[in-house]
Amino acid sequence: MNLQDTRLRIKIVGQSGSGLLTVGEIVSKALQRLGFFLCADREYPSLIKGGHSCYTINLSESPVRSLSDTADILVAIDKHSLVAYFDTLKKEGIFIHGYERTAGIQDILQQAEKKKIQTVFAPSRKIAFDNGGTEQMANIILTGMLWKVLGFPLKKVEDLVREKFKNKKKILDIALRCLGAGYDAVDSQLTIDVPVKKKKTLLLDGNQAVALGAIQAGMRVYSAYPMSPSSSILSYMAEMASRTGIIVKQAEDEITAAQVSLGAMTAGTRSMTATSGGGYDLMTETVSLAGMIESPFVVLIGQRPGPATGLPTWTAQADLNLALYSSHGEFPRIVMSIADPGDGFESIQHAFNLAEEYQVPVIVLSEKVVCESKMTVDSERFKKIPIRRGLVPPEKLSQLKSEDRFKITPSGISSRWIPGSSETYYFANGDEHWEKGTITEEADEVEKMYQKRMRKEETIREKLPPPEIIGKEKQADISFVGWGSSLTVLKDIIEDYRKKGISVNLLHFRCLSPLNKKFVQEFFSRNSNIHLLEGNYQGQLGQLLEREGFSFRGKLLKYNGRPFFLEDVDSYIRDHISQHG
Amino acid sequence: MDKKRLSELVHQSDAYNAYESDEVLTWCGGCGNYSIQNALKRALVLQKIPPHKTLMCFDIGCHGNGSDKIEGYTIHGLHGRVLPLAAGASMTVDPDIKVMAFAGDGGTMSEGINHLIHTVRSNYPFAFFHHDNQNYALTTGQPSATTKKGCPMNAAPQGVMTDPINTLQLVLSLEPSFVAQTLSADIDHMTDVFQKALCHQGFAFVNILQGCPTYNREATNEWYLRHVQRVEEQKDYDPTDIWAARRIVAQKEKIPLGILFLDTAQKDFLHTLPDRDPASHFPTREVIPRDITEFLSALE
Repeated sequence: MNLQDTRLRIKIVGQSGSGLLTVGEIVSKALQRLGFFLCADREYPSLIKGGHSCYTINLSESPVRSLSDTADILVAIDKHSLVAYFDTLKKEGIFIHGYERTAGIQDILQQAEKKKIQTVFAPSRKIAFDNGGTEQMANIILTGMLWKVLGFPLKKVEDLVREKFKNKKKILDIALRCLGAGYDAVDSQLTIDVPVKKKKTLLLDGNQAVALGAIQAGMRVYSAYPMSPSSSILSYMAEMASRTGIIVKQAEDEITAAQVSLGAMTAGTRSMTATSGGGYDLMTETVSLAGMIESPFVVLIGQRPGPATGLPTWTAQADLNLALYSSHGEFPRIVMSIADPGDGFESIQHAFNLAEEYQVPVIVLSEKVVCESKMTVDSERFKKIPIRRGLVPPEKLSQLKSEDRFKITPSGISSRWIPGSSETYYFANGDEHWEKGTITEEADEVEKMYQKRMRKEETIREKLPPPEIIGKEKQADISFVGWGSSLTVLKDIIEDYRKKGISVNLLHFRCLSPLNKKFVQEFFSRNSNIHLLEGNYQGQLGQLLEREGFSFRGKLLKYNGRPFFLEDVDSYIRDHISQHG
Repeated sequence: MDKKRLSELVHQSDAYNAYESDEVLTWCGGCGNYSIQNALKRALVLQKIPPHKTLMCFDIGCHGNGSDKIEGYTIHGLHGRVLPLAAGASMTVDPDIKVMAFAGDGGTMSEGINHLIHTVRSNYPFAFFHHDNQNYALTTGQPSATTKKGCPMNAAPQGVMTDPINTLQLVLSLEPSFVAQTLSADIDHMTDVFQKALCHQGFAFVNILQGCPTYNREATNEWYLRHVQRVEEQKDYDPTDIWAARRIVAQKEKIPLGILFLDTAQKDFLHTLPDRDPASHFPTREVIPRDITEFLSALE
């Protein structure tokens, strides 16, 4: 079996706390080391034990960026999850389980037979006990079984188990025995060619990538309050602090996290914070202050469905309006989206540069599916973006006047220097102010300063890179407009459809605000069958574009907490190509 | 007040004048903010801190309208949020920059009271000057959490129904490292206390009993002067004894002034960071491209 042009889709399901994540991580890493490209995501409920979870891995010899909702292989750790996910296993697929009391799953086994599914079974509890383990070892036994079914040599996965338990000698011995016993208990079902030419990839999730990008960009203070799905950035920063020297502060709330970050930025270092929509609600007054005192500020929103607590561990793209319109008063801001780990690594570096050069808040929209999905990324994508701070050069620090800090300029951008770096000081005033920062309520001065700040929006609009077109530039059979993670699905879809002779293209917004209207106009004039693709109910980017006079033939909107799967876009295209044609 | 020390000011009029602003002061006649800002300028001069080595962070309130009436680097932030703002600044600035924060009793004891608790707990390296005039003066005299029970106020015409929070009791319950109380009617005392706060390594909490001639008719300067007692005049007062401090702020006979509590052994925030050397702390200069190869190769 050759995975050059096709993907193999594995789903591992089990209760939260059953060790599912361990299986998923071990198998993903082992597959990466064999040279495969893969994308893996974990669906799980917002609790620590119980409830069913699913770890999905899609792998191929060519880059895989998105996920399918269907499985070729289903690995079930327990009955509940098995029942919940069985329908996602395709006809003639492979079903791996260790459930001994088969009387309880007769329905499933009959369905399996009907769907010509190959069932692979070994008594995982018994094997665990026989090898000195507890029921908890079922996950390792199933890892062995899965690895054998895939037909790969045991050693490759053994190495990962060793790494995983390297500090727990006693458990390691049991785990290795269980892994081997699981491997030996079943027969290989597949013979998969291992990639000959191995490309150097990194396997990481979006949060890790953002953290690494921020470290790369010279961020020195990270302050945050835990909130899914952004929390792992905080953990990751803290774990690396001994080697990076970054000051990591878990704040008492999101208001504090944002204020600490703004205080650090205003005082002259690079800092960021991350949260989800609900936490960002609390940060909005700070964003407004950053807008007024023209201080750089960088915040990441890991989106999940709302309102209120919503679905804490699921994904959404529903906080675009929040990012665009939050905070009192009017001030320029930059809103960016990130689509995948490689994008996150690069974009966060740009976010720091933009925030400092234009002295504005930058809001980076991520999504649960970006935050937590692991993806193999070509190591060449981890590029260093030169740091641009937009500060007054050292030789000019002695020639400053206090009025330079908020000087009325044509571009709206005035000189910024670090407090204490010059004998010339200034007032960073949250009250309306004149050029030095002294409070003013004079109508004329208020207008001039207001206009100066707002002029930055035009300056930024001209400098920001335009939206990106994926696929052919014009006259596509069907076109999509989207932002964030939909890029990854569309990249895979565009390639699939090219092979079928159907042209699909995408206008992807990495920078959502300020909007580059001219570029959008060109795209709309060159394509006719244009559809909106967004992970929210209202079609928030769509509404924004409609207000600018653009219109869509249709809208593919999803708001049930799941990301866009290949199947979603695939069936939408089939419906809308025929209509169009 | 050490009069000899104070007399040094006479020879430092240039240094003092460097802090003087041309801006028109906008406080009411007799407002405590005049003397507080004067005492602050004196303390800064006596500590030999020039304006460009300060970073003064202001909350919202009458005191905050002084954010552009003293020369130096200032940030005028949001209501109730000055403590975390100053915390971020204090972990960032070069060691020779003095971070200070100023807020009233509205912002500190209501809107941002959670920040006060965690700032004390984190022992960030900056001095905090709590302007306690027992009301929301800038919004025309509503009661605050420190207004005395029974006082008729704007929005409480029949008198405040609830007991005030005892600010010092609260702060002392959090194992602070520096707690002092002073009075806006006594510039010399303030100068002395402010200097000690500026020298403290860690979070220095300075409670200033501030006169508000417009909205606080109960606790006037004259009233305070009749009721205060300096702790140094008390026999055997030990400012390193937390229970002595807690007792003295609990009793209702006399209002204690001076350094009420001091714990110099407590590490400030920067000294608790295991991975950094506070002696060479320059986050402003550390914004340079980092080598992340080791982290990337762990992901291969």
